[in-house]
Amino acid sequence: MSVHFKIRAPLLAHIREDLERRHPFAYERVGFMYAALSRIGQGALTLLVQSYTPVEDDDYVKDRSVGAMMGSEAIRKALQHSYNSRTAVLHVHMHAHEGRPSFSGVDLSENARFVPNFFNVSAHTPHGAIVLSQDNANGQLWLSRNVAPVPVTRFSAIGAPLWCEGERS
Amino acid sequence: MTRFARQGFLGEESEARFAVLRVGIVGLGGGGSHVVQQLSHIGIPNLVCVDPDIVEESNLNRLIGATIADAEVGTEKTAVAARLARALMRSSGFVTITAKWQDATEALADCDIIVGGLDSYRERSELEAFSRRLLIPYIDMGMDVYEVGDHFSLGGQVILSSPGQPCLWCMGILTQERLEREAENYGAAGGRPQVVWPNGVLASLAVGLLVQLVSPWTNTAIDSAYLEYDGNRHQVGTSNRLKAVADCQCSHYLADQTGDPLFDIRRQVFGTGDATEPDTVERPLGWWKRLWLWLGFSYAPEPDARH
Repeated sequence: MSVHFKIRAPLLAHIREDLERRHPFAYERVGFMYAALSRIGQGALTLLVQSYTPVEDDDYVKDRSVGAMMGSEAIRKALQHSYNSRTAVLHVHMHAHEGRPSFSGVDLSENARFVPNFFNVSAHTPHGAIVLSQDNANGQLWLSRNVAPVPVTRFSAIGAPLWCEGERS
Repeated sequence: MTRFARQGFLGEESEARFAVLRVGIVGLGGGGSHVVQQLSHIGIPNLVCVDPDIVEESNLNRLIGATIADAEVGTEKTAVAARLARALMRSSGFVTITAKWQDATEALADCDIIVGGLDSYRERSELEAFSRRLLIPYIDMGMDVYEVGDHFSLGGQVILSSPGQPCLWCMGILTQERLEREAENYGAAGGRPQVVWPNGVLASLAVGLLVQLVSPWTNTAIDSAYLEYDGNRHQVGTSNRLKAVADCQCSHYLADQTGDPLFDIRRQVFGTGDATEPDTVERPLGWWKRLWLWLGFSYAPEPDARH
């Protein structure tokens, strides 16, 4: 199973810029990308990112034990957008370094806790989480609520230069 | 000196970038055959070459790699491309598909860039739309010979149509009038004039745009281009049509018009053995099924039945 994540480079640059903004009290910012899907052959999916919305300042919850904690309203808005646009929801945050980022232990446990719930509203599409670095990305995608996520195997930013990373199908 | 030592100016990472790139070449005629040859020289091993046709004698004035023997036995153009590429590269990622590109969409969908050397405006329109829907940069080559009074005008254009940037419609290559005129002339006898050197110029421009997109050797990022070739003056320049729309948002292919609009993960079964366990979705039974149950017969819903 391979998953190819594609995004227009200007949108990716905008997301990075947005996630680098300081929040009044959270250590980091988070947001949501919305992606259309396309299937290629027997074992490949392509995520085609269409848009991004940051989590609004007021939708963060004060919790000094984690980098950022979203309130339920942030998730409700993301799911509303997903439902209306028939798109996959991809939670996104950023690690401030170069090279391939990894999800932290907290990231992994939190992703596993809230991403499967996205299927309550948008069951027709996969959902996932993406972590960006300053020049790379990593991700995991749930194909259904009850099955462990699969890794995003390839990333492409469509622009000049064209950036491709990872294994193809 | 290594094979690629003379193209080291493309950057230390260029070989690695080319190695993982997959390029679709649609149409292996005068333009496409040049592109296959050049990409093979450069070291791009993963090529998806698509063309439904065989070599005919009338192709020999321009089809790179084709021989008299190919024309005599009717060798497939994809086989000529394969012979050309494999003589220059040992690659397991070289794919040929002898079919219309509309029957090769699965392979093309997995390409990072598509280069089109198609004759008809309708097909160019469809290939660009396909590429946009999958966020694939599309490089379009077109050559024209027009009779102007007592002489001919030779020219063409190469366009880089990147997602989010001006498209063939924005730049005036595609117009409703052209498509209608082409449809009216559909089936008219005789092929359009084509010769080898303008094909070569246009293919070289296309390859240059492709390499610059993947491994730029200048500080200038080019994600949109409309290069006009004046074959009578032997000049190439950026079209004023691009300059006119360069800062405009493409209104023909919107950001939210990508992917499969009817995609439903619950209907997907993947062939890798790690298929999803789809969420079940309850739906009310139709009146005839309820009647069937009321009469005492059993009923098992289809596994993929969903709203």
